[in-house]
Amino acid sequence: MNTYPRLNSPLAMICGAAAITGLVFSAPALAGGVTAGTLIENTAVASYDDGAGARTINSNTVTVRVDELLDVTLTSQDPGPINTRPGDAVLTFELTNQGNGPEAFTLLANPAVAGNDFDVVVRSIAIDSNGNGVYDAGVDEILTAPQTTAILAPDTVLTVFVLVTVPDGASDTQTSNVNLTAEAVTGSGAPGTVFAGAGVDGGDAIVGTTGAIATARGQLVVGVASVELIKSVTLRDPFGGTSAVPGTIATFTILARVSGSGTINDLVVTDAIPDGTTYAPGTLALDSAALSDAEDGDSGAASDAAGITVDLGDVTADATASVTFDVVID
Amino acid sequence: MKLLTKMTIALSASALALPGMSVAAQAAASPISLVGDVKAEKVITAPDGTESTELVAPTAIIPGDRLIFGTDYAHGGSEAVNNFVVTNPLPAAVRLAPDADPALEVSVDGGKSWGVLTALTVSSSDGAARPGTHADVTHVRWVLASVTPGTKGRLTYPAIIR
Repeated sequence: MNTYPRLNSPLAMICGAAAITGLVFSAPALAGGVTAGTLIENTAVASYDDGAGARTINSNTVTVRVDELLDVTLTSQDPGPINTRPGDAVLTFELTNQGNGPEAFTLLANPAVAGNDFDVVVRSIAIDSNGNGVYDAGVDEILTAPQTTAILAPDTVLTVFVLVTVPDGASDTQTSNVNLTAEAVTGSGAPGTVFAGAGVDGGDAIVGTTGAIATARGQLVVGVASVELIKSVTLRDPFGGTSAVPGTIATFTILARVSGSGTINDLVVTDAIPDGTTYAPGTLALDSAALSDAEDGDSGAASDAAGITVDLGDVTADATASVTFDVVID
Repeated sequence: MKLLTKMTIALSASALALPGMSVAAQAAASPISLVGDVKAEKVITAPDGTESTELVAPTAIIPGDRLIFGTDYAHGGSEAVNNFVVTNPLPAAVRLAPDADPALEVSVDGGKSWGVLTALTVSSSDGAARPGTHADVTHVRWVLASVTPGTKGRLTYPAIIR
């Protein structure tokens, strides 16, 4: 039997080329190319006529194993800076295994980014276990240190959440960035760096164009709204003047002004009827529109004993509301 | 991939058991020998920044890398042979490199029809014919009318890993 240089296996030459290629290869089209570990086997076939008839001879089969390409991309999935208040916030990222082999990635969130007005506290990194794109507490898996994804098949896309806490000191319009880094567990480095024997089936692992490391930035902007209440009174005495005497009607105006940014939720304005006065029934109004005294469908209620209550609901920044009511001095 | 490796070995073993003798006898009697090899083309950057291409043994091979598949033929017999055709199915994991010899005879339909690439068409998914591309090539072949005793030659084609 002939022996050939570069012969991968003495048995391989006996297999017909068609049989090998037909069975071994069904490599799907992947972003990272042919799957790591795929064997590329090449056999040439010669046919000729030696005078006694047609003959066929196969060459030896040469085999090349495709090594593992390490590539990863990471992008922020937030449409813009996350509007937040002091407290908990969630940043969303998307990680893609752009390589051609199964690979896990280590995640590192860095909240101390140059230019930050304040730094958040990173509570944890979570994986979108149920794949709905939204962080679900108690459902989505919280990664334990060192935060590492499961081994991801080539082309797998994973949604990653970074759970942060915005400190109480953060004030309106201040911004902060968080950098999330994903790095191939096998290793990263300059494109072309080889990790010998670290790839699929003992093959090599080679760093691709992404460097096998990717960083994406999530942004937060603080929206803190504040409420200012300005109360004023005008007097109208029974004689057409403005002195405070029994029978004088005092009209109170409470101006609620929301400033900053964001929204104040469930803003309720209440006031007591001052001692020595009596509420003038039917005088409660919001922005000059009358409200009934009874606790009913409209947003206001008023009585001598309980005072006045007006529910303004959710009020966005830069809005004002004016509540007015009359009392009569006893 | 371990499963596939095992499949290949099992296939080889069964093939060995069946026609082992006849294949050995045929190889011994053939006046023509055919030896395949594969090299990787690597760009080497010299310290002065100039780049040169070298053919090296294929290690650390990843998608996008370039391979040169070669077949050396030699006629060790005493009679000339005619209608000498060397056919090389392309492994599915590679595509023919765009700078392959334009005169190379190729097939884009699994070896049923042959021609230079620019003369071949493939039917796209909507049934319309479109010009064949290097990625469509399934086979390459070389045809020599006759090979005289003592003749040697080398046939190569460049491929890029998909």
